[in-house]
Amino acid sequence: MATTSEQLPLVVENKNAEPWYIKDLPMYLKGFAMLTVIYIGLRLYQGAFAVASGLDSSEPAFEQYWMQLFYVELGILAVFVTGVWGYLWLSRDRNLDKLEPKEEISRYFTLTMWISIYTFAVYWAGSYFAEQDNSWHQVAIRDTPFTANHIIEFYFNFPLYVILGGCAWLYARTRLPLYAKGISLPLTLAVFGPFMILVSVGFNEWGHTFWFREEFFAAPIHWGFVIGVWFALGVGGILLQGVTRLIELLDELEDAP
Amino acid sequence: MSVNISNRSFRPYTGEKARITRAYDYLILVLALFLFIGSFHLHFALTVGDWDFWVDWKDRQWWPLVTPLMGITFPAAVQSVMWTKFRLPMGATLCVAALLIGTWITRIFAYHYWNYFPINMVLPATMLPGALVLDAILMLSNSLTVTAVLGGASFALLFYPSNWPLFGMFHVPVEYGNGQLTVADLFGFEYIRTGMPEYLRIIERGTLRTYGQYAAPLAAFCSALLCILMYTLWWFIGKWFATVRYLNKI
Repeated sequence: MATTSEQLPLVVENKNAEPWYIKDLPMYLKGFAMLTVIYIGLRLYQGAFAVASGLDSSEPAFEQYWMQLFYVELGILAVFVTGVWGYLWLSRDRNLDKLEPKEEISRYFTLTMWISIYTFAVYWAGSYFAEQDNSWHQVAIRDTPFTANHIIEFYFNFPLYVILGGCAWLYARTRLPLYAKGISLPLTLAVFGPFMILVSVGFNEWGHTFWFREEFFAAPIHWGFVIGVWFALGVGGILLQGVTRLIELLDELEDAP
Repeated sequence: MSVNISNRSFRPYTGEKARITRAYDYLILVLALFLFIGSFHLHFALTVGDWDFWVDWKDRQWWPLVTPLMGITFPAAVQSVMWTKFRLPMGATLCVAALLIGTWITRIFAYHYWNYFPINMVLPATMLPGALVLDAILMLSNSLTVTAVLGGASFALLFYPSNWPLFGMFHVPVEYGNGQLTVADLFGFEYIRTGMPEYLRIIERGTLRTYGQYAAPLAAFCSALLCILMYTLWWFIGKWFATVRYLNKI
């Protein structure tokens, strides 16, 4: 269809705007960038101070460089979870029965972005810093549950991905009709299963009060983490739920060029 | 008997609708990449772990058995969704490629640059040839049974030969301190780890020495049998997790 002269100013005006279905894309990309800076920053901090002050938990330097970081992390996480979960709940849509198809499509995209940010946090917690724990404990004898890598991995990365998974769950529950009418089982599995990994830290550290076990990373005291991460496979169900609904919504839209 | 597939309801999207679905595809790709690096890597590191971390753990008895057995889990689960629901024959390759990305990043930045282990000591093994074959067999056969038997067995049997070009050089013998050992063992002795040679004692158990060159193929065939069973189990685990149910309460 040709563009008429009446439409031209509108076309020029909107040339750089995001399409309506990915209006939250800039926020999504900023989220990625912010998380990347945080995780790389934490890794650089480890590189700078772990060997110098993170080998002996009884030294004053350990308190200064590592336990202080631990307290700061807890403070940041407490503020973040209160703010973001509170915002998502208080700004919930109270008129979901009047939602237009275009708006609902756009919200499915935003939900996918939330889950994507969640899986990015799962990458850092489940992949990089998790295996780095083995590397660190092969060169440093653990004398505390708050080691230089645990302070990042267990007490920051794990709670952070739990919070972000909770954001995805809350977003769906408060802004999408199907998720508001019923509780999505796969979304719940994909968020609450990996949450159990955080709880497994208790079992893991309790085990380490008996056994040294660094030699054998695949030891049974670590299998609580393994079972928790299997639940991430629930994302397949979320995808099927989303695609099915998107097909219905696209059928309701008029064809556009 | 052939089946007439109706194409009555199939109409490709065009224009804006095509752009919307394409944008959704890209979002899912990013999501899936980080999901499978994070989740499969954690599963793998805590079940196979040490056999993949260290060159001196890559032995003839346990490494060819444990690695494919634990490595076929996520590929089977993801195939059960990606093939049956989307006809995408790439579930296994996606998982294994994601795992390799995750392990390589960690070995370089967490082992080599942080704690100064030589990169040759912590090279990850590859399961890519087995994953490609697994995907190809599922695509060609469209059968869970055939894929479990032929694909599962191939996944296990291909593991050792496809890794031999990478790790064979570390198995050459050297004389050290009036004793004979491999280059891989030497890495282990030179770069001390906090808990060490328990495994080196375990490995000399049983009839390993007299079985000689047969130990690795025997481990691979044992793994093939177990992989057939593991593939089937994880196909159904993947299917169960991909539920589309909504609940009234939790």
